[in-house]
Amino acid sequence: MRLAFDEATEAFRRELGAWLDENAPDPATTTDRSRSSSDIPDWARAWQRKMFDAGWLVPGNPPELGGRNATLIEQFVHREELGRRRVYPSFNPQGLGIVVPSILAYGTEEQERRWAVPILRAEITAALGMSEPDAGSDLAALRTRAVLDGDRFVVNGQKVWTSGAHHADVILTFVRTDPDVPKHKGISVLLVPTDSPGLTRRPFGSMVSPDERDFNEVFFDDVEVPAENLVGELHGGWRVATGSLGHERAMLWLGFAERLDDLVAHGAAALASQGLIDDPVVLDRFGDLVVDAHALRLLGYRTLAKARRGIEATEQSILKLLGSEAVQDATLYILEALGPDGFDPTARTAPHEPLNWDGFTTSWFERYLRSFPGTIAGGTSQIQRNIIAERVLGLPRS
Amino acid sequence: MDFELDEDQLELQRVVRDVVERECPPALVRAVVAGDDDGADLWKTLVQLDWPSLTVPADAGGMGLSAIELVVTLEELGRVADPTPFLGTTSQYVPVVRAGAGDGDVRQQLLAEVCAGGTGAVAFAGGSDAVRAHRDPAGRWWLDGTARHVLDGDRADRIAVVADVVADVVADVVADVDGELDAGTVILVVASSDVTATRTPTFDAALHVADVAFDGVGVGRIEVDDDHAFHGPGIDRAVARARDEAVTGLAAVTVGACQRILDLVVAHVKERHQFGVPIGSFQAVQHMAVDVHVAIERARALVHFAALALAEDDDRSSLAASMAKAAAGDAQRIAVRHGIQLFGGLGFTWENDLQLFVRRAKAGELLLGSTAEHRARIARSVLASGPVR
Repeated sequence: MRLAFDEATEAFRRELGAWLDENAPDPATTTDRSRSSSDIPDWARAWQRKMFDAGWLVPGNPPELGGRNATLIEQFVHREELGRRRVYPSFNPQGLGIVVPSILAYGTEEQERRWAVPILRAEITAALGMSEPDAGSDLAALRTRAVLDGDRFVVNGQKVWTSGAHHADVILTFVRTDPDVPKHKGISVLLVPTDSPGLTRRPFGSMVSPDERDFNEVFFDDVEVPAENLVGELHGGWRVATGSLGHERAMLWLGFAERLDDLVAHGAAALASQGLIDDPVVLDRFGDLVVDAHALRLLGYRTLAKARRGIEATEQSILKLLGSEAVQDATLYILEALGPDGFDPTARTAPHEPLNWDGFTTSWFERYLRSFPGTIAGGTSQIQRNIIAERVLGLPRS
Repeated sequence: MDFELDEDQLELQRVVRDVVERECPPALVRAVVAGDDDGADLWKTLVQLDWPSLTVPADAGGMGLSAIELVVTLEELGRVADPTPFLGTTSQYVPVVRAGAGDGDVRQQLLAEVCAGGTGAVAFAGGSDAVRAHRDPAGRWWLDGTARHVLDGDRADRIAVVADVVADVVADVVADVDGELDAGTVILVVASSDVTATRTPTFDAALHVADVAFDGVGVGRIEVDDDHAFHGPGIDRAVARARDEAVTGLAAVTVGACQRILDLVVAHVKERHQFGVPIGSFQAVQHMAVDVHVAIERARALVHFAALALAEDDDRSSLAASMAKAAAGDAQRIAVRHGIQLFGGLGFTWENDLQLFVRRAKAGELLLGSTAEHRARIARSVLASGPVR
């Protein structure tokens, strides 16, 4: 056990830091803001391309894919350092974090060239089509149907919650290709261009605001998709699904850890400004928040240390559960501690961060609402508890 | 950051777990509670394995290991509700004596006593719960006051007192005695025969807690040889560090007791059938057990962090110790509550071993500062100085 990373790792961090100091965009150029998780403003496209070219976008990748074959620890330090500096890795997070790794892991070389590289270079953006009206936590119950007809699939059905679909160029779409086998065994994955005839996207407002339009319903009406857009094996989509979510989860905790660090800092400022820092209830709750923030980071470090020792970590569900619920608790504490001073829905709760997503610094009420995607998306807290009960505690399946 | 136990530490964990599961079964704890055993054989076994000297420096005859090895060991002892003076000696007395800035030979001798099986307790009696100390012109120390709730205060061979030096007395004697001496803190080590200790009733009867009077009737002010007094520059920081180690050690024991509760509960809900199925297949049951597990993982991570910060003499050790104690407090609250609930009526018996670990887990909350006190301390420290990473 050591508190510090080794010198080689710190040298890597310094090299990244020096590059960021030199190359990060001038805040004055960042006034055009992202409107959805597939909308990358021009300045951010140029910035992502710059990171790609320098091998700093996804350092674990080889150089031709925007990386430098970095070790696991180096990949972590990269994410940690970007987070510390509040540099959003990509304004198309699901493209970079889920779609591209899925293509690289399961797709063909042609798919890598045609789709993955352009997503990495911010030339196009991607959305993830998993959830359906009747397939949420029970994802494998999805019913969007794809029928192979010669050299093309014909797709019919509906997706929902498809973040950023209305601004995306392609949707990694999970479809049912065999309805006559157990549900996990009849799923396939297709790359569906959003300009395909018969594909309709209908964005809808989130709870936060009718104007915050990231979620979409996506309707497929006899949409023809070339057979070469099949990712992985026919009917082998469940493996891609679990792998995709695995990518999403691997360092997901770091996002929660950054949110908690933010909440400690922004919360302290808010409480101090209202003269609440001697209130014993506030001290109790704020102390709990600080404990959560440290515990999450430490448990994350533990998974990292285990991974480096070649031990498969069972903690991902624990990290997601603890991190998302701690963020929710913390935003609630602060919102309620502020009383009527927390009313203003347009208030900013922290200084504007030019290279980060704007949703992290909105009003306390909004930040509280925004904590719910953390406890709902990517496997609800209840699903995480089921997973921990079965896989970690060894309890019988319910 | 490399936040996982290394091979030697994992091996120590396996060995300690194996030994204490064998040597400290629930039957032994019950015998101690009933007054039919005093745990002396178990203590002898621990001494033969050199474990009380785990963090005694090698030049004093100890194993010279760090706070990390200490918390690994203490967690295992918490899992078996250890009835010996191990916790008080290793996590309180040894750190306080090690912290001593006084006469080196005396310190080495006191630590050597521990290596030979001697036990110690600490009266953390500075501040509001003050035991006062002063030194007379002849260079002898005098103590006044009563320290409350001293772990093993009634049975340890020696008692280290962290006392406030009485300022006005210092002013009188300072010119005559010692130009360095200032009002502040002093560590005084006395033999238990010099004090009046009264064991107080405790719901965890395998744990010894006592009030220790340094001015009891018939004893008067006790005298301490100056060689056994540690004071001077750096004493406050040294005492704070020792206290952090004590707090961290108690948190480790609490985590161990919580883990045992969870182990018992998980085994129970797999076995117990109702409505034709194991009750552990019900999500209402599963989710409660998971919440206990997560709370334990959270607390264990912070206990390890506090130990690591102590081992590396990092500035965050004090904050980390409070976080470990607060998180252990959160863990015991949910482990005790859900643990009893999930056992149903079968857990609500004297016969079920659950009660032994419920008592140890809850006892950890009541000593060395509650969760609420440590949370407030953490909050104040962060609000005053900004977040610590």
